[in-house]
Amino acid sequence: MSRGTLAHVLTLGRRTFADTDLLVMAIVNRTKDSFYDQGATWAEEKALDRVRVVVEQGADLVDIGGVKAGPGEVVDEAEELRRVAGFVAKVRAEFPDLVISVDTWRASVGRAVCEAGADVLNDAWGGFDRGLVDVAAEFGAAYVCTHTNGAAPRTPPHRPSYDDVVATAIADTVALAEYAERRGVKRESILIDPAHDFDKNTWHSLELTRRLDEMCATGWPVLVSLSNKDFVGEALGKPIGERVLGTLAATAVSAWHGAQVYRVHEVAETRQVLDMVAAIKGTRAPEAVVRGLA
Amino acid sequence: MIAAVLCPHPPLLFRELTGRQDVAAELRAACHDVLSEALATAPTRVVVVGAADEAREWTGEPAVRRFGTNEERRETDELPLSLGVGRRLLDEAGWSGETELVSLTWDAGDEVVDALGALLRQSTNTVALVLGEGSTRRGDKAPGFLDERSFPFDSATAAALESGDATALRGLDVVLADELMVLGRTAFRVLGALGRPLSARLAYDHDPFGVAYHVALWRYT
Repeated sequence: MSRGTLAHVLTLGRRTFADTDLLVMAIVNRTKDSFYDQGATWAEEKALDRVRVVVEQGADLVDIGGVKAGPGEVVDEAEELRRVAGFVAKVRAEFPDLVISVDTWRASVGRAVCEAGADVLNDAWGGFDRGLVDVAAEFGAAYVCTHTNGAAPRTPPHRPSYDDVVATAIADTVALAEYAERRGVKRESILIDPAHDFDKNTWHSLELTRRLDEMCATGWPVLVSLSNKDFVGEALGKPIGERVLGTLAATAVSAWHGAQVYRVHEVAETRQVLDMVAAIKGTRAPEAVVRGLA
Repeated sequence: MIAAVLCPHPPLLFRELTGRQDVAAELRAACHDVLSEALATAPTRVVVVGAADEAREWTGEPAVRRFGTNEERRETDELPLSLGVGRRLLDEAGWSGETELVSLTWDAGDEVVDALGALLRQSTNTVALVLGEGSTRRGDKAPGFLDERSFPFDSATAAALESGDATALRGLDVVLADELMVLGRTAFRVLGALGRPLSARLAYDHDPFGVAYHVALWRYT
């Protein structure tokens, strides 16, 4: 069940990180209709500009996606490939050392982006296409195991219920992580993600956040995707566009509990929150200390 | 059979699940209004009918914690959602009399539906509380996204409820109902199997969250 204390590094393709490093994964959408940016980086050049900005802001990796998570316009395999494969190659050419993740559920897309230089396959629909695991193993890519409660890709929640949402999320993601390891993905390159709001209502996502330490205690590195989601909006009664503060609060709590990777829209703000939590935890020295020491 | 009440069964009818604001106040009030009118006929028994994963009689409590709240988890016999909402509505209406809780499957066949309908119709001094709702696909933000066929389907259901057209409800298009994620597929048909009422009232017909909710009262005396 637990990854235990064997692995203390996280390897994401070309980069290796210590388990105390808190990583910012910047969302880069090659979509027309994602809920937050509404097509702001649909044009390839705009998306490339976004990569340049987030790298400057301190993103450790980018997560490139070609399909909106929610329902909407059908994006078939060919269209998804058109959106992301060539783009990954361009990002790789401009940023040889940047960790590139791709958000996809399709093995065929995973193969194309790994050939183009991707380091991480963020399987946001939780092993829906099991072939994606094998692609990660073949290319030495990292693999994110997401808890979707068996939902088909792009299905919004409708009355999901759980005996214990945290226990279920842990059991399902750890099972997928162990499966990925058996299929040949490197142990230090497997992450688990409780997937806030995916087949979960706001109560479920809040409880996952509150008890994220239980998920971190499995020993598998935990990725969280909290950014501007509905559970933040419903908790505070805030529409999209007014959820950054709530997102950062959830980010701080998650960091305190031990999550390692943060998939976000706001890179600079997240970086600062994570650095502050790390300073409080004692895993990052303060930047410059004079007060009372002069 | 004295009367039959139809209510939807979204989890948000459990007040404690909607948070600081009561987002379903109007719907809950409509359910209370109609149920109170039915219970004012002084039945000796209420039969609660809803769909679930299995067909059987139940005892237990609403399974609210499965959906949320910050309460501790307790070991209890849990009712399926439809019957749990029915049980809660009866509690809120002050009903403490004899209550039977019966589920049919989501895809119950004609024979099962008709058998339960006949049994209820012959019951004396009984109110039936039937739980079910219409399309889950009434908008871009609806749980089932948008399917334009939802609108004529739900309008036809509402018209049948308002006019007491039992035949129309009993004969609803089950294939289309499944495609529109109509969780009231079985409930509507059971109501139809009760036969034409002496009077019918449709008290609520809206879709505030992309799901068609109907609240209705059919009286047989």
